[in-house]
Amino acid sequence: MPANSIFESFLASQGYALFEYLGDGDFRLLGEWPDWCATLWGAQPKRDQLIGLAEKSPFLENFLVDAQEFWRAHSAGSVNSGNWIERGVDGKEIPLEASARSLDGKPVLLIQNLSESFGQQQQWFQTARNSLLEHEKLLKEIQKKEILLHCIVHDLTQPLSAMNGVFHLLGDGNLPGALRQYVKAGERESRRQELMIRGILEAFSSDLAAQQARESGAYEAPDLLACAKQALEEFSPTFRERHIRLVLGRHAAGPRGWRVVGDASRIDRIFGNLLENAMRYAPKGTSVTIGLQDQDGFVFGFVDDEGPGLPPDRRPDQLFALFSKGKSHAGKAGLGLYFCKITVERWGGAIGAETREPGGSRFWFRLPRAAQTAAGNTTAAARGKSVDKEKPHTNKKAEKSLRILVAEDTELNRDLIIELLKKRGHVAEGVADGRQALAALEKQDFDVVLLDEEMPGITGRQTTAAIRRREAGTGKHQFIIGISGHATQDDEHRFREAGMDASLAKPVEVKTLYQAVEAAAQNVHPGAADSGREADHNVAAATSAAQRRASASSAADAPGNSPADSEDVVSHLRRTTGGNDKLIRSLAAAFLADAPKALSRIRAAVANKNAAELASAAHLLKGSLAIFGAPKAVAAARNLEALGRTDSLREAAAGLRALESEFALLQRELRAIHSVPQAEVESRPPAKPAHKRKRTR
Amino acid sequence: MLQKKICMLGSFSVGKSSLLRRFVKNMFDEQYHTSIGVKVDKKVVNVSGEDLTLVLWDIYGEDAFQKMRMSYLRGMHGYVLVVDGTRRQTLDDALALNDRVVSEIGKVPAVLALNKFDLSDQWEIEQAQETQLIAADWTIAHTSAKTGDAVEKAFLRLAQLMRAQ
Repeated sequence: MPANSIFESFLASQGYALFEYLGDGDFRLLGEWPDWCATLWGAQPKRDQLIGLAEKSPFLENFLVDAQEFWRAHSAGSVNSGNWIERGVDGKEIPLEASARSLDGKPVLLIQNLSESFGQQQQWFQTARNSLLEHEKLLKEIQKKEILLHCIVHDLTQPLSAMNGVFHLLGDGNLPGALRQYVKAGERESRRQELMIRGILEAFSSDLAAQQARESGAYEAPDLLACAKQALEEFSPTFRERHIRLVLGRHAAGPRGWRVVGDASRIDRIFGNLLENAMRYAPKGTSVTIGLQDQDGFVFGFVDDEGPGLPPDRRPDQLFALFSKGKSHAGKAGLGLYFCKITVERWGGAIGAETREPGGSRFWFRLPRAAQTAAGNTTAAARGKSVDKEKPHTNKKAEKSLRILVAEDTELNRDLIIELLKKRGHVAEGVADGRQALAALEKQDFDVVLLDEEMPGITGRQTTAAIRRREAGTGKHQFIIGISGHATQDDEHRFREAGMDASLAKPVEVKTLYQAVEAAAQNVHPGAADSGREADHNVAAATSAAQRRASASSAADAPGNSPADSEDVVSHLRRTTGGNDKLIRSLAAAFLADAPKALSRIRAAVANKNAAELASAAHLLKGSLAIFGAPKAVAAARNLEALGRTDSLREAAAGLRALESEFALLQRELRAIHSVPQAEVESRPPAKPAHKRKRTR
Repeated sequence: MLQKKICMLGSFSVGKSSLLRRFVKNMFDEQYHTSIGVKVDKKVVNVSGEDLTLVLWDIYGEDAFQKMRMSYLRGMHGYVLVVDGTRRQTLDDALALNDRVVSEIGKVPAVLALNKFDLSDQWEIEQAQETQLIAADWTIAHTSAKTGDAVEKAFLRLAQLMRAQ
């Protein structure tokens, strides 16, 4: 067999068909006519018969333009068509690829049948693209959950703002001893709840920016000893009440100190959770010890108790699992130790528990020692401490009276902030949204502007941007503090990017409010404080860190009342307004006048399938409803807001019906409040709460 | 008979092949089968009493793994730009691809198919965005390869636009 014939047979056996280009779109077969050619284009052409490939395949017709250009240019190498698929007379699909090249100066076209490799290639692409789609889906799910989580947290913080403010105002009054105790317990518990809400948000939201900041080292390492001492100070009274001694064990400070990788507020929570756990199991008259040990590259922290030790039927690691609960102490969510585990492990540490030799248990955690910085020794904990020391006394008047504008759409929260600021000696006035804030700033100057982030119309950040645009080139700088119901480090970052100088988290803590506002005063009255930028930074760091730390858990079971969901509207309003009946009536009147408009907006948004409008209107109404308790109505509005935000309008009509039903019940109660004389509001017996009343059709 | 070349363009997994399969064979497969090459089909339609052969180029979707060759668009009379309405990003990607096509080929008739319209509860394209697209002279079709809704209509509309050229 001649060499050429062998070569042509080989090509055909490998799935190739070789053609010589003769010009004018005509080809001649070189070698054999493979089976796949017969499947696609019929019987083998006669020897030297002209073949019009362009007529056989639109794809080849298109490629021949490139091929002819290649042959005309006498280029080296080849030009390739990419994959395409032809369907045979039997319906079978055949993947092909063509390349134009020159052989012995002749222009030739080589077409390859890719059937053998195509399946594998397709499988690879299929897997890769399926993975991309799964990834997209996962991201969407995370986004939806985050939106929902933020909605919930925002809702939880709104009433807390009111509670904290009211407790603070009540605590300043001349109350008899026992009543003062109850008010203090209420304040302590509302702050404890604030800490828990913040903990949930921080632990379970994907706050990537904050994590990146930690990972990049753009933070200052906390001092574990300072955290341990703070935990001791905060928990000692509660332990004393239970006749348990809480002590700090011996801790020989090495030359390297106690700085660790982590975040001071979360280490506080770790100590807090371990101490709460110890308190549940430690018998009366025994001791619980907080201890620290230096372990080369790690710092070892532990809490020892003298209780029964670990349960024999459970492995130590099971105690740290999600929703793991002690058998005899049901009622806790089983999240405390899980939080400790995921937090410590995220920082490269470890956590564990063991039964101690002399009896009792030891819960321990180990964190990597933080690298020493060139600058030295300012730790996050120390910074937190210094901030605490600098905190103003809330009962004193401010050294300098400031003009402050408060922009907050929820009237009750706005009034409380204004009341607190006035009490401190400042001149404060309020507006309900960003546009009104801009209008107020045109009329007069303010030393500080407090802007709620989520307001109808334009948000706090958009308002800030408008203020900064107005200032451009004037040399002025309005000091702006953002208020957010979410309050993650990510939010702080967004606030700063928007041009805000500092941020406060809802519920606004009284001391932190004064501190933030008055630190701003140092900035707006030159000479009173450090240079502007540095002061700004300190305020932001202080407000967030101090807020997180200020509400550290005291862990006692609350004596007195909690704002239970069984509370009726009148009781709720009397509690949150401090029994101000005039305010109650004006709130009821405002709701009856304005809320139906918000409901109409929601109805229109549902009818028009306008998701953005639905989210906005439901958010507004939700804020109003929350003022009156009404948890079911709030939940219905929240549900609609979430549907709007996630553009999931299929269930909006059902959601609207639920809201309308709850709205009508609340409306009826408020009409009753509004129509009765003031004396009757005061003496009216608590009504059965709207959401517990049996409905009749 | 007059022939018109139509290309299906858009990101991966937006439903280009499914739309063609529904249009040409009136069939639909729930499973996603990714395309990695070009497939050419033909279908005769009647536009204003005149038969027209549509030469339909199903071109693989663009992603990080495969970029579309502009040479495939040579001689194209019109195209269907396909978007998955449940994935907002695919609209942005489609519009970016459209810019490249226009700069390479020039302006030819096109229809924007917002596909998977049967999944309305997962729809991510806002009405305001559609209004903007219409204002930018896009012919929009809310298609569903699964149910067949608006599929034939979209191709016929494109055929009419090409015929009117």
